[in-house]
Amino acid sequence: MTDRRRINGPAGTTIPPVFEDEDIKHDSKVVKGRSRAPDAVRRMFLKTGVTPSASGSAYLEYESSAKSGVSGLKLSCTVHGPRSLPRSSPFSPHIVLSTHVKYAPFATKQRRSYLRDPSERDLGTHLETALRGAIIADRWPKSGVDIIISVIEGDQDRASSNIQGDETWDMMNVLSGCITVASAALADAGIDCVDTVAGGVAALVQNAGEDSTPTIVVDPIPSEHEKILGACCIAYLPTRDEVTNLWFKGDLSASAMDLYTKLVENGILASTSANRVLVASLNETLA
Amino acid sequence: MATLTSAGEQPPAQPSLTFTRPVFAKLSPHPYLLHTLSPSDPSTTPSSRTNGRKPNEARKIQINTSSLSQAHGSALVRTGDTTVICGVRGEILPVAAIPQFRENKNRKYDDAGTLEEKGRKELKEYDLLVPNIELATGCAPQFLPGVPPTTLVQTVSTRVYSLLHSTGLVDVEGLRIWYTHTRGGDGDKMEGVEGEEAHEEEDEELEPEIKAYWVLYIDLLFVSFDGNPFDAAWAAVVAALKDTKLPAARWDPDREMVVCSGKEEQKKKLNVRGLPVASSAAVFLEKEHAEEREGDRHWILLDPDRQEEGLCNEVITMVVDCNGQDGELRIRSIEKQGGTVLGRELIRGFAGVAEERWKEVVAAMQ
Repeated sequence: MTDRRRINGPAGTTIPPVFEDEDIKHDSKVVKGRSRAPDAVRRMFLKTGVTPSASGSAYLEYESSAKSGVSGLKLSCTVHGPRSLPRSSPFSPHIVLSTHVKYAPFATKQRRSYLRDPSERDLGTHLETALRGAIIADRWPKSGVDIIISVIEGDQDRASSNIQGDETWDMMNVLSGCITVASAALADAGIDCVDTVAGGVAALVQNAGEDSTPTIVVDPIPSEHEKILGACCIAYLPTRDEVTNLWFKGDLSASAMDLYTKLVENGILASTSANRVLVASLNETLA
Repeated sequence: MATLTSAGEQPPAQPSLTFTRPVFAKLSPHPYLLHTLSPSDPSTTPSSRTNGRKPNEARKIQINTSSLSQAHGSALVRTGDTTVICGVRGEILPVAAIPQFRENKNRKYDDAGTLEEKGRKELKEYDLLVPNIELATGCAPQFLPGVPPTTLVQTVSTRVYSLLHSTGLVDVEGLRIWYTHTRGGDGDKMEGVEGEEAHEEEDEELEPEIKAYWVLYIDLLFVSFDGNPFDAAWAAVVAALKDTKLPAARWDPDREMVVCSGKEEQKKKLNVRGLPVASSAAVFLEKEHAEEREGDRHWILLDPDRQEEGLCNEVITMVVDCNGQDGELRIRSIEKQGGTVLGRELIRGFAGVAEERWKEVVAAMQ
């Protein structure tokens, strides 16, 4: 049943444009490779106070890579609250976080619908875990706060075709951005936190052929690498040296223990870089 | 306080009650707005609104285009604290998927006027424009996600939809994907040219036919909301459509599907007719809860913000376009609701205000 409260368009299904094969080959026949050092994250832009009517808000943009057609991540976050919970809800001794992550319909290669899909809910729960460790929750009993993130543009290569299943890796990058931007918006809203939490991603990639030795890079862009074996998204509190959320995906053997620790270490490295930007941006608003 | 007085300290003689403007405006919005609009000495302090603007002063508008890479066209519009992003994305609707498709055969015998009329009908019948608005981004405290689309969202979307069709902004020719039949496997280009020149002699087979349409999904996302959503949304739609470039598409008879060329230089700009601009104003009455009576004062506030919208019942939206021949002012739509203040004279006067606004917005678009 179609949603009658929106304008749904024609009854027949529409097809996203299919491009001619030769053009695609022409555009992305070579995996360009990474233009940054393995331990360098992309530059980012963070600004708080983009939505004046919200309690707190922030906007985060990742630099798009040099290749055209690859979009940088663009996120906008608003925080509403803390405010009292509705009467019907049960007593809560601490603040109730509710997180919403929503892709704009024009954010990704495929047009997104207006209803939240499972991956967006998944991102929401990961974000909630990451932030819960940072907020001093028992300062606000019986109250709730809404954290809403709109993904204005996802991290996707428009030119490359869909063979690699990039979406799962893209979600990691989106989540790390979400954590950083939500942390900035929480600070803008004046909600007490033990520290500013920031997200970072590290990945184990294979750049040349099946047999080459995999390397670990931070802040991976899937289209820059031939194959991603595993990735790890970390939410990290630098002054406390605590990890509030860890999300690993991939296919690695269980015996390679130091590989996992290295991935986490590099994730923390990426997260501290993001944290520097975050702190600098928050200091700027104070000045 | 009790400890202070018992200690014999002097309480402050005059409890200072000086609030800043925003605090006053929040505590009692209606009297405060009335007070600033009708100052006791108009010669020194001009009549102004809570936000410091004059009654017929709109917020400055800023328009950025082509900032999104996944959409075919995009625009970001910012007026004061209202920020809206519009992304236009084309998707292909094959003719086979349209239930009641009938091609207009005697197209070329029509004159330009009826052709345009038929084009508009085509656009509407096959529903090729799909505007939608998303407000539930926390852009204001009353718009939180997790709820179905509110009435406001639905009305604004519908108004954008009907205005898109009534103004005929998009030329349907840019959305058609043609295919010319060829008899043999060879020389299709040659025959195509011949068919153009001498279609009278050729049989039906050589006539180009429509195989598919582009459907434009026009999605609007409010990043920040501070009143007057329709003007901002409409400006964003017009700017994004002007920015839209669709890839060159052709029908591939072997695969029976439409394929597009990925080359940047083959992209075609959408043909956008005219440049309509919407201006809204709200009518502020002297009495807060009473019906309008003869002799009561009222003010027409152009481009109302969120607080003013809450205080006003009567709203007028006028869409004007001065883009035609010799820059003549043309009114494309008038909508007015709730109240009896705006009569014929006032609406006529408002057309002048809308014309001024048109110039501002068009200057921002360039």
